[in-house]
Amino acid sequence: MKGLGWKEAALVIGAAALVWLMLTSIGVVPSEAIAGLVRGSVGGPAAWRQTLREMTPLLIAGLAVAVALRAGLFNIGADGQLLVGAAAAAVVALAVPGPVGVVLACAAAAAAGGLWAFPAGWIKVARGGHEVISTIMLNNIAVFLTLWLVRGPIKDPSVQTWTTPSLPTGTGIPSLVEAGVFRLNWALPLAILAAVAFGVWLQRTVGGFELRAVGANLTAAKVAGVDVDRIRIRAMVASGALAGLAGAVLVLAFEKRFYSNFSPGYGFDALGVALLAGNSAWGLLPSAFLFAALSAGTTSVQILGVPKGLSTVLLGLIIIVFAVLRYREACRDG
Amino acid sequence: MVEVLFASTVTLTAPLLLAALGGLTSERSGVMNIGLEGKLLVAAWATGFVGAASQNPLLGLLAGICLAVAMSLLHLLLTQTFRIDHIVSGMGINALSIGGTSFASKGLGDRSQSVAGVFFPVWMYWILAAAAVLALALALDRTRGGLRLLAVGHDPDKSRQSGVDVGAVRLRALLATGLLCGLGGALIVTNATSFTDGMTGGRGYIALAALILGGWRPLPTLVACSVFGFVMALQLQLQGSELAGAAVPSQLWGALPYLVTLVALVGFLGKSQPPAGLGRP
Amino acid sequence: MTGVTVRFGSLTALENVDFEARPGHIHALVGENGAGKTTLMRVLFGSQRADSGEVTVDGAHVKSRRAAIGMVSQHYSVIPQLKNLQNLMVGAEPGAVLDRKRDRARAEGIARAMGFSFDWDAPSSSLSPAGAQKLEILKLLWRESQVMILDEPTAMLSPADSEELYTSLKRLAEEGRTAIVVTHRIREVLDHCERVTVLRGGKRVATLPVAETDEANLARLIIGHDLRERGSATAEPGPPILMIERLTVLGDRGHRAVDDASLVVRKGEVVGIAGVDGSGQRELFQALIGTRSATGSVRFGGIDWLNLTTAKRLASGLRLVPEDRHAEAVIEDWSLFENAALGLHRDPPFAHGHWIDTQGRARQAGVIADAFKTRYGSLAQPMKSLSGGNQQRFVAGRGLTTQPKLIAAFQPTRGLDIDGSAKIYQAIRHECRQGAVALVVGFDLDELLVECDRVVAMCQGRIFEAPGGLERDRDAIGRLMVGVG
Repeated sequence: MKGLGWKEAALVIGAAALVWLMLTSIGVVPSEAIAGLVRGSVGGPAAWRQTLREMTPLLIAGLAVAVALRAGLFNIGADGQLLVGAAAAAVVALAVPGPVGVVLACAAAAAAGGLWAFPAGWIKVARGGHEVISTIMLNNIAVFLTLWLVRGPIKDPSVQTWTTPSLPTGTGIPSLVEAGVFRLNWALPLAILAAVAFGVWLQRTVGGFELRAVGANLTAAKVAGVDVDRIRIRAMVASGALAGLAGAVLVLAFEKRFYSNFSPGYGFDALGVALLAGNSAWGLLPSAFLFAALSAGTTSVQILGVPKGLSTVLLGLIIIVFAVLRYREACRDG
Repeated sequence: MVEVLFASTVTLTAPLLLAALGGLTSERSGVMNIGLEGKLLVAAWATGFVGAASQNPLLGLLAGICLAVAMSLLHLLLTQTFRIDHIVSGMGINALSIGGTSFASKGLGDRSQSVAGVFFPVWMYWILAAAAVLALALALDRTRGGLRLLAVGHDPDKSRQSGVDVGAVRLRALLATGLLCGLGGALIVTNATSFTDGMTGGRGYIALAALILGGWRPLPTLVACSVFGFVMALQLQLQGSELAGAAVPSQLWGALPYLVTLVALVGFLGKSQPPAGLGRP
Repeated sequence: MTGVTVRFGSLTALENVDFEARPGHIHALVGENGAGKTTLMRVLFGSQRADSGEVTVDGAHVKSRRAAIGMVSQHYSVIPQLKNLQNLMVGAEPGAVLDRKRDRARAEGIARAMGFSFDWDAPSSSLSPAGAQKLEILKLLWRESQVMILDEPTAMLSPADSEELYTSLKRLAEEGRTAIVVTHRIREVLDHCERVTVLRGGKRVATLPVAETDEANLARLIIGHDLRERGSATAEPGPPILMIERLTVLGDRGHRAVDDASLVVRKGEVVGIAGVDGSGQRELFQALIGTRSATGSVRFGGIDWLNLTTAKRLASGLRLVPEDRHAEAVIEDWSLFENAALGLHRDPPFAHGHWIDTQGRARQAGVIADAFKTRYGSLAQPMKSLSGGNQQRFVAGRGLTTQPKLIAAFQPTRGLDIDGSAKIYQAIRHECRQGAVALVVGFDLDELLVECDRVVAMCQGRIFEAPGGLERDRDAIGRLMVGVG
């Protein structure tokens, strides 16, 4: 790669060596694991179905994190917002069946997610408390709250496991394409549309200009007459609402119910998606696809005896390596 | 009842305190560190794994400290040499640690589970934690190293002008961070007697909150950690007990430490003064 | 120093420069911005590597110059969060463990020899600029520096404090030390220094005893041609339009940074605000912009100004040349297009309803960049690829080419050469002749006296006006700056 210094090269090689070392240490041949990863993510209609399914919540949640990130806020709380959103969606969709229920469920999820993010925005603006800490605390509280709900008030009394009843057929987001084992849900094209719309809004509207100004230089934005407090709180709430929607999509399009340990860490993956996408909203698409493929792939290599922790390691490495490479790029521009 | 509560408060405070002090040396040097959680976790895993494999508590502790120091130095490398955002680097390191320990504990087998008695006694860690608070408080006030740490944290550029080697100060600060988090992680696995996936349960972040509430000063940080430790101990005591005649769901008690942290952030934050140069190159 | 050459990329900052200073002297180094003064001093100090040339101190080649040479840069090294004693010794502590009694005794000794007194346990945030400057000098003495370099030491000081500073420097010179003062204030050179070196465009133009030169001669050497007199005469001011009454603004530390200040500005006036740095100018401007709350009243053209949001004030014609360019005026990662719109982005030509008008923006960005000859390759390049001076030209262009009605400029000519500065003041005056008013904060009293219609002084949060007829009298304003009517 042109302009890549030896330090950056060393970092990339070190990251690759670490993964290689991890795999060999548990007796897995790295090339087989990589082949398994590829097969499990894009090797056939079933793999594609799984990858595109994973991509849907990751893209929406990644968009959620990106909205806050553009305003200079790290929303590590997407996981908690997704959880309360999913729970709210399940409750509403169970109460109101049919398409009306779907719309109401999405609205409830967005409201719940936004509400869950609001304290973090408010603490940041009014009290100066770092949103990283407050959103992590809100995540933990959301875990306990939804756990309590699904073990008590909204539990399906007819089964032993901690879950809500399943949604009735006809209540949910339908598939756009069904061909053999392949499925593509309507939610993904809608999510892609949302990401594209966000990109246009960011670059071409006064509101997008102001949001980016707040994220790029808070003081300069203030001097330019931007109401920075309002924008930051709104960005945080919008971010939470989108994360809540991601939860609703999971319930309405795929899982058809809410259960304990609902999120295997979508919120953290979403942070990776947003960081990897960088400054551009378009970047969210390949970034979400990559993480989805990784997630689908690692699930399939678990059969080879590769523990799931590998995907989290890869997530960490990707975040670090791309942050480093992006900094190099910024230096070259300057 | 009261003695149990007290003992359990000390038990729960000590690892928080070690981690918070680790955060203190790092952030006082101007390096933001949300990666405390990851460092605790790798230290807990390494201490448990090596301690069990070698049947030697010293080797276990050393392994835990070394791995935490390595993570700390990685953070230094990424933020100082590669100049990436301190929060991004911290997130990346946390992901590496969470995934790596989860991977290792499943892939390499959890040998510590079957073997007992390979840890140092917990009181040793308590003494070290108490000593660390005093040593840091004195060092910041009375030594050359402490003065330079303060100066670099407030303004790295001006410190450089005054002839302070900013890189060296930060290197030492992050070595201390690794050491203290290593001890904290070792204590967590010692308390639990074996490693479990994600066992730190967000304590690295609570430690960070305690550090912030303590205004980045050792003694107030001790107070903040004690409050959080007490709330956690209270939560364990109250699990399953009734409040005003009604059964309280156990999840509410579980969420209590996090709620208290959140309320503390809202209530006390305006007063604490961060190092002015936090996050600056 | 002989044959010093420094290059930054394709730019030659210093070319084959010789420089020598003698013990017991105050040696002045003068030249325009960008002439290479600071670079030369950094080479001497050792913080900048020279591409060629050599440096000797006391005849011997010096490897580690830090011991013998001390430098006070334009941006003080005093850290406000530390205590005075801590600031004094940080980086040169006597031992690994600090002995407060011993250190304080030594500090007292050094301070007393200079005739200074300090509360060593007080935080340095409470120091005035003059106090911080004194502490900087003591820092050099603590390190036993023989050669002291002071970069623009009087930039932030009142005339009285400047006098005092030179008295201290003389005392040090008499002890056999060498003081090198980098300055652009010719008057100080003539009054206080023994020898002067002039740099222009990275080359040495002359080194001569001060006694053998005069103001006109030095000015000619510095800029290469004769000083131009101020272009236009003072215009007849119109009716009062900006009325600041009993304005009080609290500062960061909760003190009354602006304290019951009043000022009336008439239509068409350019009013300079002189004063020592930290006298409340910053907070006054923040109150006018709306980024800091204030009590009292400000009326502009009959509007209750303080009740407007910053956005409304900008829409009403407030235009800024902010103090801290990096922090307040530009977004460095953004293109010149987007930076042109900053602050004016809600209205035509930059926006069309909720949508950004990219064509209108491109047109206006070109006008802004060309107003003061910003040097750029493309308007799409990021702001950070411009030099500081060019960024300042761009920011000034943005403020002065977009129909200003109330111009608030904080050191608008910072980082610019004499010609660039003159153009900016010309533009400010031009806009005011069209009916705008301008408030200009500056720390160089002489510049304000030349360029403004009227100069008022700020001291400890109050605004003082010289009596009629003395609005541009140097001595009168200088006295007001330190609160002596």
